[in-house]
Amino acid sequence: MRYLNILKGKLGRDPDFVELHAFAVMWSEHCGYSHTAGYIRRLPKQGHHGNAGVVDLDGDFGLVFKVESHNHPSAVEPYNGAATGVGGIIRDVLAMGARPSAILDSLHMNSVIGGIIEGIADYGNSIGVPTVGGELRLSELYQHNPLVNVMAVGVAPHGNILPSKASKPGQVMVVFGGATGRDGIHGASFASEDLTGDKASKLSIQVGDPFAEKMLIEAFLRMNEEGLIDGAQDLGAGGVLSATVELVARGGLGAVVHLERLPLRESNMKPWEILISESQERMAVVTTKDRAERIIEIAKDHLLTAAVVAEVKADPTYRVFYGDKKIMEVPVQLLANAPEEPVSDYVPKDMPDFRKVDFKVVDAHTVFEQYDYMVGTDTVIPPGLGPAVMRVKGDGGYSLLTHSRADLAVQDSYWGTFIAVLESVRKTLSVGAKPLAVTNCVNYGDPDADPTDLAAMMKALEDACRFANIPVASGNASLYNTYGGRAIPPTLVIGMVGRADPKKIVRPKPSNVYAIGWPDFDVERERRLWEVIEYLSAKGAFVLAASSLVNVTHVKALRRLGLKLNVDVPRTEPAHQMVIVFADSVKTDVPVEKIGVLKWM
Amino acid sequence: MVYPGSNCDRDVYHALKYVGVDVNYVGLDDSLDGCDLVVLPGGFSYGDYLRPGAVAAREKISHEVRRAADRGKLILGICNGFQILIEMGLLPGALLRNSSGRFVSKWVRLIVEDVDTPFTRNFKSREVIKLPVAHGYGRYFKTDSAIRVVFKYMDDVNGSDDMIAAVTTEDGRILGMMPHPERAYEKLLGGEDGLKLFTSVVEYLRRNAS
Amino acid sequence: MSKYRFAIDVQFKSSVRDPRGETIERVLRTEKGLPIYHLRLGKSIHLEVEAENEVEATRIVHQACEDLLVNPVVEEYEVRTL
Repeated sequence: MRYLNILKGKLGRDPDFVELHAFAVMWSEHCGYSHTAGYIRRLPKQGHHGNAGVVDLDGDFGLVFKVESHNHPSAVEPYNGAATGVGGIIRDVLAMGARPSAILDSLHMNSVIGGIIEGIADYGNSIGVPTVGGELRLSELYQHNPLVNVMAVGVAPHGNILPSKASKPGQVMVVFGGATGRDGIHGASFASEDLTGDKASKLSIQVGDPFAEKMLIEAFLRMNEEGLIDGAQDLGAGGVLSATVELVARGGLGAVVHLERLPLRESNMKPWEILISESQERMAVVTTKDRAERIIEIAKDHLLTAAVVAEVKADPTYRVFYGDKKIMEVPVQLLANAPEEPVSDYVPKDMPDFRKVDFKVVDAHTVFEQYDYMVGTDTVIPPGLGPAVMRVKGDGGYSLLTHSRADLAVQDSYWGTFIAVLESVRKTLSVGAKPLAVTNCVNYGDPDADPTDLAAMMKALEDACRFANIPVASGNASLYNTYGGRAIPPTLVIGMVGRADPKKIVRPKPSNVYAIGWPDFDVERERRLWEVIEYLSAKGAFVLAASSLVNVTHVKALRRLGLKLNVDVPRTEPAHQMVIVFADSVKTDVPVEKIGVLKWM
Repeated sequence: MVYPGSNCDRDVYHALKYVGVDVNYVGLDDSLDGCDLVVLPGGFSYGDYLRPGAVAAREKISHEVRRAADRGKLILGICNGFQILIEMGLLPGALLRNSSGRFVSKWVRLIVEDVDTPFTRNFKSREVIKLPVAHGYGRYFKTDSAIRVVFKYMDDVNGSDDMIAAVTTEDGRILGMMPHPERAYEKLLGGEDGLKLFTSVVEYLRRNAS
Repeated sequence: MSKYRFAIDVQFKSSVRDPRGETIERVLRTEKGLPIYHLRLGKSIHLEVEAENEVEATRIVHQACEDLLVNPVVEEYEVRTL
């Protein structure tokens, strides 16, 4: 176990069997963020720090959102790996008190892995949350390490939004949802390792039950409506251990956990197995003893199991019992705070001359037509033509997107990441939305073998967010995406949400088509480009701000609307500042070139 | 009706409220007394486990649905709702997996074949409309040669026999359809051809108020 | 009371076209060069019944098939003891 010596030092002795398993999970990269915690602290932040980020949408409603990765499981078992990835991020948003309203997926693979698409589709469709967009990037650079990043968004009135912590001694924690089995034991440690060798075994794969998840969503929202919840956290990596530790750690409190109370679906489970099992579709709710009964009743009405599993204590110790037998007793903060690796201060160099790194071109319709993007009747702009826009019935709307530029980051991880953030702003502005906040997923190779590019990525994220004056509200990190020691390109996936007005959405119609901006990149011009995009969009022009300018997916999406595109797409550098504008005429002092027309078919 | 796993109940509720109808959600233990129209919405009741609609069709509440049908109430089954009505035997045929083997989510063109039902009076015969579909098991398998077809797909969407997208009973009072009219009641959503279905049935009910 | 184990083999009736089965059959024949025909994809259900005797257990399995597990409109089935 990594950090074993540090653990020995802190305990003052060798850890016993249960402690070894518990710390292997809590101090894994996936749960402990050892290599990224220092960098994350430097990011300009805003919004809750619980399960997901929260930003104010319009005074009445908050937008809850986060992106999460499920890379390692998807490499070994694509269908279930991707499906449970969706399940996990949905619960993160739900735990904040919001009904999940949209999903986006950012996929990097060598070729379209049907199992991954089906996994996301089956799970998302089944729980009735629309998958409204995402990105599909195909390159042999991801041959052995596909990246499956899923972003979820939810909307809730500010009064419904929940803290992710226990706040008072005397509270209790109820775990409800599916029963507990042996799924994914050591999934957290597995997610933090190289995939070659026999570590990559199917034993660690969690299997999802979307029907249980749907019931969980309805049950949880019902409980919140009845004012039964003081705090909540979903059970993901590290299971009961991680959820209960984090809930009390954030409140500076302690807990006594009774493992024998957890409803099981497998016989003869040992206490340590129950503690760290990663069985899916479970949630931990902090409440008071008098309200726990009703919570359990609601869970049972929704065909789910439930039990009061722990008590919150003032003494910040984490004690675990199985019946009368004490299984573990350690300080909460020791479990909750993994040792941190030193951070380095990256100094950006001049932007290089990027060469074109070709990612395979594919019509994304074949993928997103397997996702129900309309359920909920809030999807205003469907996938295929830029960021998605959702409405909040009776009250405004929001834009959402995922974006990355691994083709640039593989050449210079600072500039590639920096430009990805800037392009995300352009895209948000292109649908007439105002960027509100960012979530991010760091997908990286080996931070021990190569700490510099990680430092570069994180510095770029920090710098770009400060440049754009947009805070980071949440994030996730997936490290050790390597195979036989070979790493993936540093791939930072940005998730950006913006405030949008569904009534002011511009849809493409017959018009002239212009290329506006510059074929290369100079950061000094970026803000001017933003002003131009904002201005043209407000004047009713349809704007496409894609890195590829116009691609096969756009053309097909336009065809589906009955429109035929006839253009000469200008050549640009891989990093450029050009957007495509559909309007009858354009007045601007920025370089403009008419490149074609859009007509009815 | 809201079964465990129904997803489109809130969407149907909004569409019905939009046309000014008094709507209630009905759960497994509720009664259907006093209603004029029962809508079985889309979704994945019981996760679609075993066969879509199979478990929901055998819940106690089906007795209520059958009683409502016997008393001449109007019944509309959309997507999973259609699958449930078929599993209940209230509509003929079977709904199988799309012949492509994949879930399909897109707007499709439909031809209105039958305008004599309470649900389709406001359409014109042979009118071409656009509605969204989102299903993995929409392939209609005909077992009865004498069925009333209400909507047909213009292009092949899922391998349905005779391009059948919706069927009704002899008296036209029970309609099952795979496309989602409740997703097309407002231009903002991409089309409003679904609105006519809801206005048809609301006007019919008002004219025939008992 | 004893426990009896069964396997239920559910298949679409021959009158129902099976595009998935056809596609898989084609792949095996043309891409793998195997002389395989009439491939049909069905469902296999395994279960355990608690009953006084095998006759009673078999009756219960058939009841489960008729009540829920099999769609008689398009499916047929065979029960085997395990």
